[in-house]
Amino acid sequence: MKKMTVMISILLLFIACGKQAPTPGVTDTEILIGNIQDLSGPMKELGAVLPAGSNLYFQYINEQGGVHGRQIKMIVEDHQYNPQKAVVAAKKLIEKDQVFCLYHVIGTSTCEAIRPILAETKTPLIAPATQSGTMSDLSRTAGDLIFHTDTGYDKQTNILIDYILNNDSNAKIGLIYQDDDYGENVLKGAGEAESRHSISVQKEAFQRGATDFTGQVGNLIKGSATHVIIAGVVKEPIIVMKTASAMGFSPQFFGTSPTMDHRVALAAGPAGEGFIAANFADLWNSDASEAVHYRELCDKYEVPEAYMGMYHFYGYITAKVLVEGLERAGKNPTRNRLINGMETLKKWDSGAFPPITYNSNDHAGTESVILVQIKDGVQTVITDWID
Amino acid sequence: MIKGRYDDENLKWIPVLIIAVYLFPFLLKSATFSYKYYLYIFNIAGVYIILTVGLDILSGFTGLMSLGHAAFLAIGAYTSAILVDQIGLPFELSLIITPIIVGICGFVIGFPALRIEGMYLGLTTMGFGFIVKRLIIAFREWTGGAGGLHVSKATFFGYTIRNDWDNYFMIYTFAILAIIIARRIVKSKLGRAFMAIRDSEQAAQASGINLAKYKMMSFFISGMFAGFAGVLFAHTNHFISTDHFDILLSIFFIVMVLVGGVGSIYGAVLGTLFIVLMENMFIPLFEDGMSQFVHLEAGEFQVFIFGLIMLLFIIFQPQGLYGMWLKMRIYWKIFPFNPKKRFT
Repeated sequence: MKKMTVMISILLLFIACGKQAPTPGVTDTEILIGNIQDLSGPMKELGAVLPAGSNLYFQYINEQGGVHGRQIKMIVEDHQYNPQKAVVAAKKLIEKDQVFCLYHVIGTSTCEAIRPILAETKTPLIAPATQSGTMSDLSRTAGDLIFHTDTGYDKQTNILIDYILNNDSNAKIGLIYQDDDYGENVLKGAGEAESRHSISVQKEAFQRGATDFTGQVGNLIKGSATHVIIAGVVKEPIIVMKTASAMGFSPQFFGTSPTMDHRVALAAGPAGEGFIAANFADLWNSDASEAVHYRELCDKYEVPEAYMGMYHFYGYITAKVLVEGLERAGKNPTRNRLINGMETLKKWDSGAFPPITYNSNDHAGTESVILVQIKDGVQTVITDWID
Repeated sequence: MIKGRYDDENLKWIPVLIIAVYLFPFLLKSATFSYKYYLYIFNIAGVYIILTVGLDILSGFTGLMSLGHAAFLAIGAYTSAILVDQIGLPFELSLIITPIIVGICGFVIGFPALRIEGMYLGLTTMGFGFIVKRLIIAFREWTGGAGGLHVSKATFFGYTIRNDWDNYFMIYTFAILAIIIARRIVKSKLGRAFMAIRDSEQAAQASGINLAKYKMMSFFISGMFAGFAGVLFAHTNHFISTDHFDILLSIFFIVMVLVGGVGSIYGAVLGTLFIVLMENMFIPLFEDGMSQFVHLEAGEFQVFIFGLIMLLFIIFQPQGLYGMWLKMRIYWKIFPFNPKKRFT
């Protein structure tokens, strides 16, 4: 009788094991990752560079033997910065291509749009390529599946306003923001800082893609702003500072992390001198350990010089966070094990981001920035990590 | 004997087609493991079909151009999201109220249509699209501003529509209903008045048709269809933002109607299916192969192909897909006695 029970138990165990569905995207030799970028929309300049940076790190890891013996392969889809297309792309990657997880999907509205699919399929999204603070909001749909790496725009704005007021308590602060989801998050941070310091920030909006900022700069002159925060991407700070210079207006300019691109220093020329931008990672050309390693790999794999820079490095360093999560997911990774693995990161040093900590109540990753100033046309770090 | 409304047509195939529409998901499920992805694409097409059928009544039958239908879709989506999630109305009631509200918006936009036409009307409706986008951002307490709005799942008489499978049956039931209603409208006195206005405003007026009344009515009806599509859009996508409803979408709606065949309800359906399936399923298949010869990114390649399709249709097949189908049908009906020049 005992033998019979044992045999039946073993049989049941086999049936149970046999019925276990294989983890999507994971084979003995490969892990498939899905990435959705803007390859042909308004942010297509980043679309080619970000995945190239990620692939640089994956290439390095794959040459080292991969993660637990599995090579990492990344499929990139295009959403043209359209949330509807992002949903189609996410469905394709998850349902058709059967990727293990999504990674570095760019854009706030596009990431928001795919939340329901993530929740339905229990697919994790690692390091969404947006600094919107909503990404680390655990109360939102699929909040438990998203691991944010970057310091949110709201937090960055708070830090910048604190910094300005610490240095000049009589500062009159102006804010030029993009009138979209990005600007919405910046406004949230500005609102918080306003009530904390009992001040009023002069807010001037512009539409995504705008090239004329005369009106906004004119209003800031009327409001006699002494410090101006620009929440744009690359071309906006350049045009704003050149316009201000032409109009004889010279406040201290600041910018959120997307304005931290080295092209701002190159293109703004003398008008951009002294511009201070916040950044959530060390500079790609700094002495930070991972930045040095990055440049070595760029040399080794002959990365075109046009690619090298902040955004390429951003793709590279987030890939390192993903790989760390995959390592911690163990030899037989499942989506659940990836989430558990990510949540074991405690003040983990990536070599370029500030220390990253995740747990079941906190998926924000980092909460601090460094400030970088253009001095003699060169980006120079002027602070330590501040939060 | 007076001829009935549908006497000219062979309607026997319609029930067969409707059954096929309902059987399709089961077929898809048995054919492919990734059926959910394909179902989602068909769901997008279903929602757009409701809108383009309405757009065809306005542009195809009444001859009034609209480049603002993405804005009507947006108003429908946001209105329903607010009515259901913030005011607490049941989804079923929103299905009735929202299209009426959007219809009224259409009615208001119809005013300029009394004085301007053609490209100028197109530009006015396009401007309306930009205004709606700004208004959505301005009323951020209700709409979530540019950050977008998460929308609840539809609950239909106690049954929650949970996933793409359920969405398919809901969307296509309403799409079939929309097609039937649209066909009844265009075959009625109203539809004949619309067509009279399209063909010649002076002649229509001379025949006693009140131009102002019928033009505004056409905008109202078209707005209602778009509003209905908007409700389904919001509650099946579960997230809406201003990025969803850009000007390019309005242009795509026009392309769908044009490719399908202006002035035919079935044409709008065919055109919408053709464009949505091309965009999401067929073009990606050719993309990799083609990119060896022409260096274009995915989105640019799509625009290139759509531009080409538009040109080819306008030059060689102005009656669109439905016109092609009609020609083919007549060709086989009178085969082998086809006059040589008629079908070239």
